[in-house]
Amino acid sequence: MREISIIRISSFLTVASLILPGPASAHLVTTGMGPVYDGIGHLLLTPEDLVPALALALFAGLRGAVAGRRAMFLLPLAWIMGGVVGSKLNVTSAFPIPALSFLLLGGLIAADLYMPAAAFTLLSILVGLVHGFLNGVALNEGAGLLGLIGITTMLFILVTLVSASVVSLKRPWTRVAVRVAGSWIVATGMLMIGWAMR
Amino acid sequence: MRCFWLILLTGVFVLATGATAWAHESQPGTLELRQVSNDRYEVTWRAPIYFGQPHPARIELPGHWNTVVEPTMRLLPDSQVFRRIVTVGGQGVEGSIIRFPGLEHTITDIFVRLNRLDGTTMTAVARPSKPYAQLRGERTWSTTAVEYIGLGFHHILQGVDHLLFVLGLLLIVRGRMLLLKTITAFTIAHSITLAIATLGYAHAPLPPLNAAIALSILFLGPEIVRSWRGETSWTIRAPWVVAFLFGLLHGFGFASGLSTTGMPKAELPLALLFFNVGVELGQLVFVFTALSLVRSFKVLGVRWPRLVEALPGYTVGGLGAYWTIQRTVMLLGYLK
Repeated sequence: MREISIIRISSFLTVASLILPGPASAHLVTTGMGPVYDGIGHLLLTPEDLVPALALALFAGLRGAVAGRRAMFLLPLAWIMGGVVGSKLNVTSAFPIPALSFLLLGGLIAADLYMPAAAFTLLSILVGLVHGFLNGVALNEGAGLLGLIGITTMLFILVTLVSASVVSLKRPWTRVAVRVAGSWIVATGMLMIGWAMR
Repeated sequence: MRCFWLILLTGVFVLATGATAWAHESQPGTLELRQVSNDRYEVTWRAPIYFGQPHPARIELPGHWNTVVEPTMRLLPDSQVFRRIVTVGGQGVEGSIIRFPGLEHTITDIFVRLNRLDGTTMTAVARPSKPYAQLRGERTWSTTAVEYIGLGFHHILQGVDHLLFVLGLLLIVRGRMLLLKTITAFTIAHSITLAIATLGYAHAPLPPLNAAIALSILFLGPEIVRSWRGETSWTIRAPWVVAFLFGLLHGFGFASGLSTTGMPKAELPLALLFFNVGVELGQLVFVFTALSLVRSFKVLGVRWPRLVEALPGYTVGGLGAYWTIQRTVMLLGYLK
């Protein structure tokens, strides 16, 4: 129940921060290899999107193979849906929304928190929708739907590889290492918020 | 069953129509600057035909360069060639920046070469992420290496037909040792023909070459189905031989991404070596990602529906068939 409350609060904060107006600063990477590769390059070179995706994959891996399977399908699916909506609405936020994902997902990894399947499903969809929405706004300026397809393809690959790697970890210290990575993600999120509020 | 074929045909059609552009060999453009007197240069700009249209990129010469002989344009089957004479004044060409507005929205690389009267040369590459070239002195070998590795890497990742052939091989091969032999055979074979074509010992015209490459992909389709059914064939038993033979064809295809016209002879072996390194790196990334994904699906216990499991194989066969027909039609048009 406590876990679901965390998600509800963070959902509220995320949606609220999306509504706040602000200048659009996101842009897409130009790889010179076409819009699909521009999308792939965008994901790989944008820590604000890459880290939450990896964090969700790490958390899914800690929760086991079933969570890994959910994340690998739900996150890209929600991301592309959010992206399509974002490309139509063009709403931007001055608040560093990805920082909330850093805090939430990093915290979940560091705490190695048990999460019911329904809550994990909701979390995957939420992260995908929010980050996809932000990408959709950025995609208006360049790569369009093909760029979004590139992003979601790369997401599918990354989430699959990372969550499977964590699932296959056998030694206890390796799980601790993953949790330490989660604490770093939280720290980065706090720095991002501090930087935005300075 | 009817539903299955409907989904399959739709999928292949969607993929094929989308992949038409992807399978297209990305031809580089070239800009040659030949010094004809102290302050006079002949500028030859070859803009490749871009998906059937004139290339969207144009050339923007530095402000202090003056055109003294108006540009002429010659239309070739695969490109437009613009030629003009310019004077560069007292400032010379050193440090000048040549821009290519419009290049940033394409997938074309442009080789820029400067041939001076004293016999020295300079080369640079402009690409969509850096749509300009600065002319300055001699470049270090490491700069050249990085540029050509990037070109090779880009070329293989853009060549969906080459990657699809490798995917077809991965679907047929069983066992690590056989996989290693097959990928090595493909690598050796395409390196041989890439070198032969780049060094100018042999040349394969693009239309029949592209049709033959498409045929090599189509060839793998039925072999993949045989492999699923547990049947055997010469290709399944010795895939490395097939990889070697078709690899020779694909090497000629890779050579189309490495324009050598006017390239200084001293730079040619280096360019060839590092372009090939880039191609191999791209191929390794693809193979490693594909194998890692298969392993990850096993770890996560993913059970694909039969249709989805068969999709990669049918994609190889379907696209191979589509490209073979499309490129054969183009070849017939070319022969006429």
